[in-house]
Amino acid sequence: MNVHQVLSGAGPHDAVTTQALAFRALFRAWGWGGRDVAAEIDPRVGNCVAPLRALAPLQRDVLLIHYSAYAPKLRGVLQMPQRKLLISHNITPARWFWDHDPQAGVVCALGRKQLPEFAAAVDVAAGVSRYNARELGSDVVIPILFDPAQLGAAREREPPQPPVVLFVGRLAPHKRQDAVVRAFELFRRRHASDARLVLVGAPINMRYEQAMRALADELSPGHVTIESSLTREQLAERYRSAHAFLCLSEHEGFCIPLLEAFHFGVPVIARAVGGVPEVAGDAALLLAPDDDESVVAELLALAVSDRQLRDVLRERAAARVAAYAPEPTARKLRDALQSLGA
Amino acid sequence: MMPEDALRAARAAAAQRSDALEQGLRIEPTERVSIELLMEWATIEPDPDLMRSTRKLGAPITWAKRQLVHVLRQYLRELQSQQTRFNLNLLIRLAELEDRVARLEERVK
Repeated sequence: MNVHQVLSGAGPHDAVTTQALAFRALFRAWGWGGRDVAAEIDPRVGNCVAPLRALAPLQRDVLLIHYSAYAPKLRGVLQMPQRKLLISHNITPARWFWDHDPQAGVVCALGRKQLPEFAAAVDVAAGVSRYNARELGSDVVIPILFDPAQLGAAREREPPQPPVVLFVGRLAPHKRQDAVVRAFELFRRRHASDARLVLVGAPINMRYEQAMRALADELSPGHVTIESSLTREQLAERYRSAHAFLCLSEHEGFCIPLLEAFHFGVPVIARAVGGVPEVAGDAALLLAPDDDESVVAELLALAVSDRQLRDVLRERAAARVAAYAPEPTARKLRDALQSLGA
Repeated sequence: MMPEDALRAARAAAAQRSDALEQGLRIEPTERVSIELLMEWATIEPDPDLMRSTRKLGAPITWAKRQLVHVLRQYLRELQSQQTRFNLNLLIRLAELEDRVARLEERVK
């Protein structure tokens, strides 16, 4: 059996590429063949993903299209006679990018416009969350394959003071790191003058990174760290030393860092948008749209200092991680592909 | 405290505070692009600092790319000005049409 994965783009720290490579490891374990190709490949990815032109499936092979960005070159794949499964990883609305990264804005606008055409042309269209699937008019959900074992062990005891607030996610407008910095600074002024904020994520461009660094220096000089390109071990260490995980993102299709924070037992505060409520369940403190940064600062104070609250959230977090265990996700993926003949 | 009570407690505590941060960059989505903003965007002015390489040992590649831009600056300026000329004229025409539609709608009312 051969399953070929087709990606819009492949990057070294890109969640979709990571997901495709994890799927490939499963396919190998199941004795399936095939190769992974992408329309655009970052040179840092290496040889594990081939250019799109290398795609040469046999008649009975299955194509798994990971849709995450506008990719006109993928249109040719739709014309191929093989059976196809499309997994939508969600595309951020362009309105978040026009002011800060016009190229990303164009790619997002066109990508969202092109998605219904792709969904209509495949045999099965699935989302990584119910939120994503609904956008496609589908009820097939194949969640992100989340393997906590790869992240290393969770911490055994509470991290030492001073409080550390963490957010992991691309340094991009819709992730609202500006609001995170603002809420953190209010928390710091009111409750913990020596607190630190750690923002982990690759920036969309240098200008945006500079703007975020300038904001951090203006509001909270010396208390904010912005990092990217961390190794898995370094990332795990950031989670282990965090007292709270704060996500004020305005758009999330799934939000893997929530599950990562749950795995490490870090209390999570998040804005209830997109796929976040579905992934977080009752294990996070979810904000309503009109909860401002002052409310977030007070929630941070509770999440950092209230022992009972931390313990209950940690218990519930373990249940969420169990709900997204790799085995059931792998089963859903296998069932969807086998229904197409793989 | 149980998680279900935390948000209510935080809202009550926040209501007692009056120290909101007003300064600094605040990111907002561009919901409706105004004609003035379109005019601003129509003028093509790419920032040369955005020219870079993400490869391993990207620094020398970035340097080479920037040299190339520098060497080609006369040609690139020509490209930019032609594109900007088209963009601006198209926008002016669009703004005129919007005004005309508004006037016609007013007349119909």
